[in-house]
Amino acid sequence: MTDLKFEGVGFVYPDGTRALMGVDLEVRAGEAVAIVGGNGSGKSTLIRHLNGLLRPTEGRVLHDGRDIATMRVAALATSVGIVFQNPDHQIFASSVQDEVAFGPRILGRSPSQVDAAVAVALEAVGLTEAAATNPYDLGYARRKLLALASILAMDTPVVILDEPTAGQDSPGIGRVQRIVADVIASGRTVIAVSHDMRFVAETFGRVVVISSGRMLLDGRPADVFAEPAWRTLASTSLEPPYAAVCGAQLGLGSTPTDADLVAALAARPGPA
Amino acid sequence: MSPVEYDSTMLKLANVGYRYPGYATPVLHDIDLSLASGEIVGVVGANDAGKSTLCLVASGLAPGSIGGELTGDGLFIDGQPMAGRPLHELSTRVGIGFQNPATQLSSITGSVFEEVALGPMNLGLPQRETVARTKHALATLGIEHLAERSPRRVSGGQAQLVVIASLLAMRPRHLILDEPTAQLDPESTRLVGAVLRELAATGTSVLIAEHRADLLDGLCQRVVVIERGRIVADDAATTVLADPRLSAWGVDPPSRVRLARSLTARGLDPALLDGLA
Amino acid sequence: MAPVIRADDLEPDDVARIARLVPATPSAYHRLNPLTKATIATFGSIGAFAVGGYPGPIAIISVMLAFAIRAGALRPLVRAALLLTLPIAISVVLVSVFTRAGTTVLFEIGPFEATREGVDFAGQTLLRLFAISLSIGLFVLTTDPRAFVFDLERRGVSQRIAFIAVATIEAVPTLVERVRVVGESQRARGLDAEGSLRARLRGLMPMVGPVILGSLTDVEERSLALESRAFSRPGRRHLLWSMPDTAWERVLRWILVVGLSAVIVMRVAGRI
Repeated sequence: MTDLKFEGVGFVYPDGTRALMGVDLEVRAGEAVAIVGGNGSGKSTLIRHLNGLLRPTEGRVLHDGRDIATMRVAALATSVGIVFQNPDHQIFASSVQDEVAFGPRILGRSPSQVDAAVAVALEAVGLTEAAATNPYDLGYARRKLLALASILAMDTPVVILDEPTAGQDSPGIGRVQRIVADVIASGRTVIAVSHDMRFVAETFGRVVVISSGRMLLDGRPADVFAEPAWRTLASTSLEPPYAAVCGAQLGLGSTPTDADLVAALAARPGPA
Repeated sequence: MSPVEYDSTMLKLANVGYRYPGYATPVLHDIDLSLASGEIVGVVGANDAGKSTLCLVASGLAPGSIGGELTGDGLFIDGQPMAGRPLHELSTRVGIGFQNPATQLSSITGSVFEEVALGPMNLGLPQRETVARTKHALATLGIEHLAERSPRRVSGGQAQLVVIASLLAMRPRHLILDEPTAQLDPESTRLVGAVLRELAATGTSVLIAEHRADLLDGLCQRVVVIERGRIVADDAATTVLADPRLSAWGVDPPSRVRLARSLTARGLDPALLDGLA
Repeated sequence: MAPVIRADDLEPDDVARIARLVPATPSAYHRLNPLTKATIATFGSIGAFAVGGYPGPIAIISVMLAFAIRAGALRPLVRAALLLTLPIAISVVLVSVFTRAGTTVLFEIGPFEATREGVDFAGQTLLRLFAISLSIGLFVLTTDPRAFVFDLERRGVSQRIAFIAVATIEAVPTLVERVRVVGESQRARGLDAEGSLRARLRGLMPMVGPVILGSLTDVEERSLALESRAFSRPGRRHLLWSMPDTAWERVLRWILVVGLSAVIVMRVAGRI
C-alpha cells in the first residue's frame, strides 16, 4: 500500500517553462483518480513526479510520508508503475511474453512468479493467444495493451495510465475499463490522465482538473461535472460528458454517467 | 477495365484490393468508395480492420510510396486515373494527415510558421501567397501564438493542430485524416470539427477515420464501416451510427445513441433526449 | 552577410515577422554562405585524411581552431571533437601501438611490444581524426540546417538530396530526444540507469531496441508525410529567406576545390 502526496509542488523546465505551480494533492491507497486538463496543462509533467522521473523544483513528493527526493527511479518502480502513451518507447523484446516478463524479472521475482504474473497480465489485456508473437506484428492499439500488460505484471501498488483509451476501439476501451476496475478491486491505486470524459466519469471515483500547472477542481465526477463547474471546465478546454449535459437540461441534477441519468429519470415522479 | 464515368471533382476507389509489400495476403478487399466535392465521409471499424490502410490507399501513398500491390480498377481523382502518376502530382490534389503528429513535422524547419509554409513553398507559390496561406491556416486553427515557436517545442496536441494547419495551407481538393484528434482535448477536437465543416463548405471533400463516433456524429454526411478489410456498411451517418450492429463491428456508438439505448432498456422513452445538447 | 528576405511583394509586418524567424548569425563565420562552410569542412576533413603526416593535419587543426575562436565556438567545438575522437582514439592507440610491426622497440607490456613505428602511426592517425572532427564539428555548430537546405535548393540541388543532408545533421538531436523518452519508459519499469556499470550494461538492450526500431519507423512515416506536402515536386521554390552568397566566397570555394584536387592528385601520384 502506498499513499501519495504532493506538498506545494512546483516545476520549471530547464528552458524556463513553468509546468506546475503550488500543487497540493493527496491520493490514498486504493483510490481511482482521473487527472484531466487541456493540451499542455501539465498532466504529463505531474505524473512524471510520482516515480521520480522529474524532481520538483519547489515542494515535496511523499510516498507513505517519506520524501522521495533521494530515492532512485528504479527503486520507486517497485511501488509505482507508469504506462506511457506511446508503447513503442518501451517495446524491445522479440515476443509478447518476454516483453511482459521484463518488469517482474527486473524486480527480482522467481521464475514461477514471473510466469504466473505474465499469464495473468496477458489474460487481462486479451493477448494470451499472442504470447509468442513478435510485438511489432501487432497493431498499434494492441501494442498499447501490451505496454499496459507489462506494467500490470509488475503488480505495483500504484498504476498510472497516460491516455489509456486513445486509439482503442470499443472492445479495447471496455477492456481498459475492466482492468482499472480489477486493479482497484484488489486494493491498489489507479491514476489516469485522459481526454475522454465519458471514460473518466464512468471509471473513476475522483477527478482532478488541472490548468496551466495548477489544480482547479478536485472531487467526485458528480461534483466536477455538475453544472456550476462547467464554466471552469470550459476555461481549461474541457467539456462535461453528454449524460451530464442532458441531466442538467432535464433538471435532474448532476448525472455524469448514462447510468446516473437513467437512475435519476427512473426515480423521477410522474409518467416515465 | 470497363469504361466508367466519374464526376470530375470526385475521389474514387473502384473495386480496389491492396496488399502490403512483404505480406502474402491482402488487407483490403473489393473497396468501392467515392467522395463527392464538399462531402465529409467518416470511416469507422475495429482496430486493425483496415482504416489506416484505406487512408493510405485513398491518398495514393500506398502503393505509390510504400509499394505493395493494388488490384482492381484503382484510384481516380478529379476524373483521372492515378495509376503511374508521380507522387508530387497526387500531393497537389490530396492531403493526408496521420495519427502521430511527431513524425509528420518535417524536422527541417525552425518555427511553426515555416513548418506550415513548407507545403505552399513546395508547390512553387510566390512568397506573398505562401505567407497569406500560412497566416490564414494558423488563424483558422487558433495557433497564431505558436508561429515563432520551434516545432520541437510544442505539446503533442498542439503539434496535431500544426500538422492540420500544414495540410490546410496546401489547399487540397481532397483531405484525408487518420484519427486527427487522438491527442486533442475536447475544445480542440470541437475546433477541428468546425474547421472541417467550413472546408467542406468550400468544396473540399474530406475522408476521416476515427474511433470517436461523437466527433463523426453531426460532422459527416456519410459513414463507412470497415471490417477485416471490407466495407460492410456505407450509408447516411445518422443511419450507420444508430445501427445496432455498430458495437459488434468494434465501434462505440455516439454518446447520444448509447444514452437513448440505456433509456429504452429501462423502459424509458428515448424521445426525452430530443432537442437536448 | 545576414540572411536575406525576398521582400519584393510582402507587407512590412510580414517582412518583420520573417526576420524574427531567420536563424541567428552571431559571428562573421556564422554569416558565411552555408556552402562555403561546407566546402571548408570538406577541405579540412578530406585534406587531413589525404595528406597524413604531422604538418598537414596540424595546419588544418590550427586553422579550424582559429575559425572557431572567431565564431565564438571554441569550447563547444573542442568538446564535441574530443567526444567524437576519444572512443576511436583509444582503440587505435591500443591496436596500432602494440601490433604494428616495427624495428625499434620502445617498451614491453607482457607479450606486447610497443614499437616506435606503432606510436608514430597512432599519433598520425589521432591527429587526422581530430582534424576531421574539428572540420565537421565547426560546420555543424555554425550552420543552421535550414539555411543549408534552403541554400542547396536555391542552387538547384534536388529536395531529396537536400533533405538527406539535413536529416543527417538533425539525426543527433532527434536521437538524443528518443533516448530520453525511451529511458523514461524503461526506468519506470525498474531499469536501473543510475546504478552500477553492470546494471547499466544489462539495461542496454531495452534501450537500443526501441531507439533503433523507433528511428527506422520514424523515417518511414516522415517520408510519407513529406511526400504528402509536395516535397518531391520538381521545379522552383520561392523561399521566404535565404543565405546570401558573395563573389569572394565563390572564389574562395574554387580555390579550396582546386587545392584539394591538387593534394589528392599529388597523393595518388606519390609525391607527398
